Order: sequence, then C-alpha cells, then structure tokens
Amino acid sequence: MKKNIIVIICMILSIHVFAQEAKDKHLAKLPAVEIQDLNGNPFNTADIQNDGKPVIISLWATWCKPCIAELLAIADEYEDWVEETGVKLFAVSIDDAKTSARVAPFVNGKNWDYTVLLDVNSDFKRAMNVNDVPYMCILNGDGEIVWQHTSYAPGSEEEVYEVIKSLVKK
Amino acid sequence: MNFKSIQRVLLAAFLFLCCWGANAQHQFGNSRVSGDFGFNGMYYIPDSLIGAEPVDSKVRGNAFLNLLYTNGGFSAGARYEFYMFPLIDFEKIGYRGQGIKYFFADYTNKFISVTAGNFYEQFGNGLTLRAYEDRQLGIDNSLLGARVKATPYKGIYLKGVWGIERDNFEPYLGRQDYVRGADVEFSFGEMFPKIQEKGFTARVGASFVSKFEKSKDDLYFTVNDSAGGISEACIPADKLPENVANWAVRGTFGYEGFRFDAEYARKMNDPNISNGFIYKPGEALFMSATYAMKGFGIAASFIRADNMEYRSQRWMNLNSELMINCIPAINRQYSYQLIGDYSYASQPNSQIGAQLQVNYQIPKKSALGGKYGTDITFNYSRFHNTDQVPVQEAIDNGSPCGTMGYTSSFFKFGPDLLYQDIGLEISHRFNDKRWKWILAYNYITYNLEILQGHAGMMRGHLVASDLSYKITPKHALRLELQHLYTKDDEGSCAYAMLEYSFSPSWFVSIGDEWNYGNPIESHKIHYYNISCAYVWNTTRIAVNFGKTKEGILCVGGVCRAVPASFGCGLSVTTSF
Repeated sequence: MKKNIIVIICMILSIHVFAQEAKDKHLAKLPAVEIQDLNGNPFNTADIQNDGKPVIISLWATWCKPCIAELLAIADEYEDWVEETGVKLFAVSIDDAKTSARVAPFVNGKNWDYTVLLDVNSDFKRAMNVNDVPYMCILNGDGEIVWQHTSYAPGSEEEVYEVIKSLVKK
Repeated sequence: MNFKSIQRVLLAAFLFLCCWGANAQHQFGNSRVSGDFGFNGMYYIPDSLIGAEPVDSKVRGNAFLNLLYTNGGFSAGARYEFYMFPLIDFEKIGYRGQGIKYFFADYTNKFISVTAGNFYEQFGNGLTLRAYEDRQLGIDNSLLGARVKATPYKGIYLKGVWGIERDNFEPYLGRQDYVRGADVEFSFGEMFPKIQEKGFTARVGASFVSKFEKSKDDLYFTVNDSAGGISEACIPADKLPENVANWAVRGTFGYEGFRFDAEYARKMNDPNISNGFIYKPGEALFMSATYAMKGFGIAASFIRADNMEYRSQRWMNLNSELMINCIPAINRQYSYQLIGDYSYASQPNSQIGAQLQVNYQIPKKSALGGKYGTDITFNYSRFHNTDQVPVQEAIDNGSPCGTMGYTSSFFKFGPDLLYQDIGLEISHRFNDKRWKWILAYNYITYNLEILQGHAGMMRGHLVASDLSYKITPKHALRLELQHLYTKDDEGSCAYAMLEYSFSPSWFVSIGDEWNYGNPIESHKIHYYNISCAYVWNTTRIAVNFGKTKEGILCVGGVCRAVPASFGCGLSVTTSF
C-alpha cells in the first residue's frame, strides 16, 4: 500500500509537470522506437522521413481485414498520389513472431509499393498510444503528426488524400 | 539480496529517472504528454438456452488509462487498470482487481537504453523470453524490474533484463520468483556495409534466460498425475531445481528476395505441473524460409516444440498466466466468425508441424486479373503432437513424476493429428471499382480432445464470401456470408452480416449466426448481433446488442474460453 501511495504521488507530481509543459505546445513528433525493417534489421522510427514531404504511417497486421482493405484501397491510387504530392507510405506491421516471417511474401503477393516495417512486440504501437488497428497518421514535411485516425471505412482514403494535398499546398 | 530490498532499489531507480527526466526537460524542451483510454462494458441478461448464466452483478466493465510522458530520450509512463467488476470472460480467468500495474521510466540514447519499472521484451522469436500484453485476451506478462540495452558497436546489440513477472492483480510483494536474461545479436550487414550492398542479410544471435523460484516443502504437498488424479508429491523440495535455464541460438540469412530464419532453444530440467514433474529438458526448433518478388511470395515454416512450457511458477497451469516464453503457433490466422472456435492454439509441450503459404497476384490489366489485379492466397498447415515413448522408470513407477519422463525422436510426427488447414482465398477488384469481392474456402481438421478437452475430431468445410460495394465515395455496404458444413461437434452453421459505413465516422451492422445443424433440436439457435460505431479521429464509441456463443477466442494462436452471453455492450477507446 505504501508503495502504491508513493507511486500515486509520483504520478500526480508528474501530471503537474505535464500540465506545465503542455502550455508551450508543439505538434507532436514520432517517438523514437527501435523496430525492424523487412529484413529484420533494426530500424528507428525517428528515421521515418521523406525529405520534407508528407508521410503516411499505417499500423496494420496480416490478420486484420479492415487494415488490408485500407491498404489495398490506397494501393490503387498510390501511384497517382506519389506523382502529385511526393507522399510516402510506411506500413508498420504489428504481426508478432508467429506471422512476421510471412509479412514480406504477403506484401509482395499484393504488389504493394509501401515501405514495410515490423513492430514484432508492439513497442511502436504502445509508444503511439494505439489501442486497435487499423490506425493511420499523417506527418507533415517537418515530421509533425497533423492527422490521426483509427478504423477504416471504405472511402476514408479520400480524406487522407485531402489532408496530404493541403500539406503540399502550404 | 532479499526481495524487499530489490524492490526498494527499483523504486529508487524509478524515482531517480523520473526526477532526472523532469530536470532534463528544460535542456531538450520538446516534452509531450500522450495517452490512451479504454472502456469495455456490458449489461448482461441471463439466457438459459444459450447457457448464459445469471451473473452476480449485471453491469460489468473493464477500463484502463495509459499516460506517457516523453522528453527527448527520456520517457515515463503508467497505466491504471480498473477491473473490479470485469466482463465475465475476464472474471473467469481471474483477471480482477484494480491499480497501477504498469509504470516505467526509460532513458534512451544512441548507445544505451535503460528502463526501470515494468517493461515488455522479446528475445529472438520469443522461444526463451517474451514479455508481452494482449488486452483482448487478458494477458499481461510484463516484467517489473530493470532492463539495459546497449549498442557498443555498429551492428552489435546487447540486452540484459531482470524482473518479476506480473501475475494479474496479485501483489509483487512476497513473491519468491524472478526472471533474468541476456541477449546478443550481431548484424553483419551493418558491421560490413559491403555485404548489405550486395543484397545479403546475415545476422546471428543468442539468448540466455534463467528463472529462479524458491523451493519450499510445504508447497509440494500433492501433484496432479497425468490421468487427472491427485497423488502425493514424488519430488522432495531439495531435489527441485530452483534455477531453470533456457537458452537459444538463432540466425537469419537472406539474399535479395530470399530469406531463411532458424532458432533452436533448449530448456534445462524443469519439473512442473504441465509436464507431470519430469526432469527431461525441453527443446524447440523454429525455421522459416521465404521468397518474395513483386507479385509473388512463398513462405514455408516448421516448428517443433517439446516440453517447452516455461513459467515463473511450477504450479501455474492457467491460460497464459506467468508464461515467460511464447512458442509461436505458425498456422495462418483467420478472422472468420464460424471457424473462430476452431483456431489452432499453440501447444508448447508437444507439437510438430509445418505451414506453407503462397501469395500470387494475377497481374493488373490482364484478362484474368482485370484492371486492378486479382490476389490469390493458398495455404496448407498440419500439426501433430510429438512422438513420446515413456521411459522404463516411468512405466515401473506407474507415474512419470520424478523421472526423465519419455524419449522422443526429433523429427518424427506423433500419432495424433492436432490441426490441419487447407485453404484458398481469392480477392478480386472488379473493373467497376466500386465492387470488391473476397472468396475463401477452407477444409479444417481440428482435434477437439487435445485442443478443447471434449472427445472427437471436427472436420469441416468453410466457404466465406465478403462482398463490398461503394454506393458513393463515402457510403459503402459490405455483405459477409459464411457457411460451415460439418457433421461433428455442434454441427453446421450459417452466418450473414451486413455492414453499412458512412466514411469516415459511422458504422452500422447487423449479423446472425445460425447453428442450424446442431444435433440437439433446442440448440438450433440464432446468435444475432446489432452494432453501431462512431469514429472521430482516434476516438471510437461502439454499442452492440446480441448473443455470443460459448466458444474460444484466439488472438495469434493464444486462446481462452469465452462463456456464452447475452446483453448490451458499450465500448469506448480514445488516444490523445
């Protein structure tokens, strides 16, 4: 109990610190989390960038049907999106050891041109405070998170594209 | 060092990191608070026909709040969980309580990362150590302790951990078991960039984990024997190993689209309730080979695990509680409603099997592929138990307890088929872009006796169709139809679900599962469900009303029982 009280006090104090900090608010950037690229080499999420152009990040899994539907819908338009806005999509799979080896064949089987990364123990998902997949966010050219969305309804990719176009115009 | 002093040291380290982080923030000046919140509640209505028993409190819910503070390389966070009146499936697995069961402080820079408090970690494929959480299943195997990760040289990765494993809402205080481990990985592609430039990938790694659990006489009073009866303990406390080691070596080799992975793990003698208190070491081998090129991918994997259940406490055999490692279930995972109950659950103590998956895209703009291409996935998997021949001593004693248990020839498939799946899935987008169709067929063989504990085999044919139609750019309809044909278990079922979505915010669906083939006339029940969800950025609110069949919920090869229920549910999740 004593320990709990100490922890609670510590939390309250920290919230106090949070509250002060929140005043000078900047747009959030991506947390730096060590995940893997498709070859299993370490990849730091702070290195997700696109030379000053917007970035889309999708958290997905091979067993998640709406995630795949969303990435498929974007795949149909992706060539045009890249041509017009220079956007780059990073598809971060949260498949764990059971299925992560099958991500590469899966992605190739779908013929996707995305940069695919592996978050095998959900470290990035946790750092992003994501509850469920599909989750998508958009970064502006400075790497700041400007838009976030969870779940997928057919047609919501249009909104994604609108956001990206508005970023490029600026 | 006793446990109390260890905990004091940890708490001090945690507070130190917090204070230091709070001071350091002025230097970096890019602090951020974020978090997420989730609530999942239900009002239960008893329904004797489906087996939904009256519950003592009708309104139940699970809730949690995560807070995360980051500032440059420093981060700290905590999660408060409230499961005092949890949903009945959580109640059944003993996930009940409340409190801050997850808190940590972490500092990371280019060379080193230090974490104090709770953390999740995985070594290699998880054969030796996998501390993870799955909120849906009620699994949280985080370790409370400390972790250090270091990168002393480009391409060399070291990790060391020490911690006490979380056991639901049980107190850590007074626990007499802990886990420690180390892992090293060499990535040759990073050390020698020339290798990588030529398209090669090469990595090797090794891990060593050891669990300590104090052995006391009064704990070892009786033991369950393999026949399910109870007999006197046959191992005196001083003969039980207090330290159980589990080590593994692994390697990955790739060239362009080809990749081969292998990991072999060996667990030292670990008499525990799941193996009938035998001294035989455990072994696991996990291999996978994949080849991928644009429009085509093939993946083959093999797994053998024998006596590899590895928990913090010898007497624990409930679900995934106190599991230190995780033996992957490598079969393909489906989200089809009707075969949810027949999902294969990984058997760490006895399984040998293989899985093959082929993905192919019939090219875009071809006669068969249509304008947008057609994706085809073929899948085959088969799992047996391992071959086990009891040792003479076990036969003489009439019980394996205290002996070497059995011998097992490594690559021989055991006599019992556990699971087999032959599947084909075709996903087609029509030239008229508004239409999409997924059609799947699976033939599944599932061993009810070993995987669910009631007699027989289930052999069933599943046909599933998922058709979506975009009425306008924002309005869409999706119709799911499934049919499972089987003469076994609870017989054939049919399922239909219609979903209407108004992008990006609204989802409404209505579905019905009809167990029309149930051999018992009164059990030919409709399990209907109506749900509505609203999504706004990262917030999702959903209400549903309907019946849930008694069954098994599996996420990634880890399963738990779900009791039958009837009622009205509310779920809210958000992150900020």
